[in-house]
Amino acid sequence: MTVLVSYVPTPVGDAAFDAGLDEAARRGENVVVVNSPHGGATVDADLVDEAHAQRLSERAEQRGVTVEWRRDAHGDDVVDVVQRVADDVDASLVVIGLRRRSPVGKLLLGSVAQRILLHVDRPVLAVKAPA
Amino acid sequence: MDYSSVIQGFSVVLQPENLLYCFIGVLVGMLVGVLPGLGPAATVAILLPITLNVEPVTAIIMLAGIFYGAQYGGTITSVLLRLPGEASSVVTVFDGYAMARDGRAGSALGIAAIGSFVGGTVSIVALTFFAPFVARFALDFGPPEYAVLALLGILLVASVGSGSRLKALVAAGLGLLLATVGRDGFTGAERFTFDSLALTDGIDFVPIAMGLFGLGEILYNLEDRSGRATAPPKMVRALPSKDEVKQSSGAIGRGSVIGFLLGILPGGGAVLSSMAAYAYEKKRSKHPERFGQGAIEGVAAPETANNAAATSSFIPLLTLGIPANATIAVIFGALLIQGVTPGPQLITEHPDLFWGVVNSMYVGNILLLIMSIPLIGIFVRILRVRGTILAPITVLITLIGAYTVANSVFDIMLVCVFGALGYLMKKFGFEPGPLVLAFVLGSLLESALRRSLILFDGDPSGFVTRPISGVLVLALVIVVAAPALRALMTRRQNRAKNEELV
Amino acid sequence: MSASHEARTPEELAEQWEAEKPPAAGPLSTAAAAAVVVLLGAAVMVASFRLGVGSVQQPGAGLWPLMIGAFLVVSSTVLVLTARRFDDAERFVSSSWLVLVGLGTMVLFALVVGTIGFEIPGAVLAFVWLRFLGKESWRLSTIGAVAMVVAFYLIFVLALQTPIPHLF
Repeated sequence: MTVLVSYVPTPVGDAAFDAGLDEAARRGENVVVVNSPHGGATVDADLVDEAHAQRLSERAEQRGVTVEWRRDAHGDDVVDVVQRVADDVDASLVVIGLRRRSPVGKLLLGSVAQRILLHVDRPVLAVKAPA
Repeated sequence: MDYSSVIQGFSVVLQPENLLYCFIGVLVGMLVGVLPGLGPAATVAILLPITLNVEPVTAIIMLAGIFYGAQYGGTITSVLLRLPGEASSVVTVFDGYAMARDGRAGSALGIAAIGSFVGGTVSIVALTFFAPFVARFALDFGPPEYAVLALLGILLVASVGSGSRLKALVAAGLGLLLATVGRDGFTGAERFTFDSLALTDGIDFVPIAMGLFGLGEILYNLEDRSGRATAPPKMVRALPSKDEVKQSSGAIGRGSVIGFLLGILPGGGAVLSSMAAYAYEKKRSKHPERFGQGAIEGVAAPETANNAAATSSFIPLLTLGIPANATIAVIFGALLIQGVTPGPQLITEHPDLFWGVVNSMYVGNILLLIMSIPLIGIFVRILRVRGTILAPITVLITLIGAYTVANSVFDIMLVCVFGALGYLMKKFGFEPGPLVLAFVLGSLLESALRRSLILFDGDPSGFVTRPISGVLVLALVIVVAAPALRALMTRRQNRAKNEELV
Repeated sequence: MSASHEARTPEELAEQWEAEKPPAAGPLSTAAAAAVVVLLGAAVMVASFRLGVGSVQQPGAGLWPLMIGAFLVVSSTVLVLTARRFDDAERFVSSSWLVLVGLGTMVLFALVVGTIGFEIPGAVLAFVWLRFLGKESWRLSTIGAVAMVVAFYLIFVLALQTPIPHLF
């Protein structure tokens, strides 16, 4: 069993990563980080570069947790990738970050967090950014 | 040389409208160079309709700006993302990306901008002195010379192009065929019109260029061939140091010369010259092992050369009326639509246009130098826009643009047909460039050939006995025979080697 | 798909590009394309004779097309015969169907733009390209298609006043 963290390089994403790390250490499990770029993009701001990923992996290493990075590209919905990877690694827990969206932003893009909470058939831990 | 018309040219460039279009051209060119998918020929083709409502000189100033702006735009993605935006920046990837990985992206892009500026400027100065000389020489050309010259141009582009030579020749043949559609200018007979009224005046150049280059590329990109996405690159805004500039000054100088010389040759152009300049720098370096590990000369040389070549490839267009590569062929088409036939008379009959375009390149190169570094952040941002969102926008611009040229729905259909043809050609390994080039030269070639035959009273030996056309025929023979000879030689060498082994 | 190994040297990079190239179709597809051109060239030659070739002293309308037709026949025949040396054609893949769909939306645009204006076919084209060819979300595709048509209306109809047929 593994703890799955859906990660984007923002404060919320870091909060989710830390929470996932805590949870994995407590359960004695490892972490799979999903960092999925949008298919067809040349540059995706949600993607982490090698150095950044290395730093996070080392942080986990110090706590005895190994991290596997998954960078499968997603099509119209990142939730599909989260579900697929969760099935793939038989995740015991999915950790996501929550952030406030303006009503307009929600109309345009919808809420990924909401769809993960409702549609992924695993326990989900939702984390807020540190105030 | 008539200096007053050179100076007159500057006054043309400095008109606010021309300055604005030069700026737009360079900016659009850089943008398109950054965005993957559309090459410079496709961009120039898609933007052709815009140029129809402005003065010819303004139109060409903008299109030329797109052309050399795209050269630099391709550099940005080569260095930062290891993705050559244009074919002419492929070799820049090796050292440019290695430099970026070491945190020297700013140096690499800075030296590329300086090199582009120097290469472009050297090329313009050389063009200023060289072009009038060529044009004067070409004034004596009659139909036989033009026939051989056009044929030579098509053959050179076909033989130096990137793909297979034979396939390029077949594509060129198709281009010549398409150029015959419509009423024959000599006899008035209708050829290959299939009794369609819309085809009586022949096929317009715009739908062919827009379809083959523009829609063809977009359709081709629909097949999922997008590579992996990358994280946003970290931009270190450090300009090249004095030492780095000094270190690459030799490469910039040699790159300018190589670029200028190879740019003049039909089929040479930016791609070939960037590769030649890189190979030459590596060869003459005392430490060739540094290349590929972040040698600044490995960025300076090809980037200087491709810009110098982009500039000098205007020489055969403006002096002989022979486009040297696919993008220049589209610019040639734009001039024809404007009612200007490029050729040796251009410099005397339209000095304002000739010198306006030439001198606008100084301004364009200065704009390129000023804008390149500060705008990199914005370009990287634009890269985040997905191709899937850009594609429908480009398609709609193309379809609506095709309509506005002649207010004809038939032209939209033609664009679709040539878009499909362009896609199929790419799939089957045929380059569309030679087709478009042969199409623009087709009617010139035919009328020159028929005039010559009438002139010679049907005796084709006249092509050989006239001195200039004789020399050109000789060049033609060399172009045709050289690759075959080379193939024969290597085969013989291989055989000799094999025999030694036995 | 884990973190990809980064190519370091130009040789590795060239290898990586080679590996990412689309699947080659083999010589048969080059031969087939060339055979089509041979037939085209032959048809052009026949048609050129009908146009009247004239004489070398007085070339007719068909002389030049006849030469082109002959050139096409000869060069493509050589291509058919040497096709096994070519591997630069690409195989059609499952996503090639997307190209046909994309082309279909363009032809539809061309067919109806004269009667009902560019807005509806334009929006349909943009929507199909975003949603089905680009695999964007329903939401983004709908909003994007409408936004594009509005933008084009503002630019081409109101600002540039081009005579593109429009409904509103």
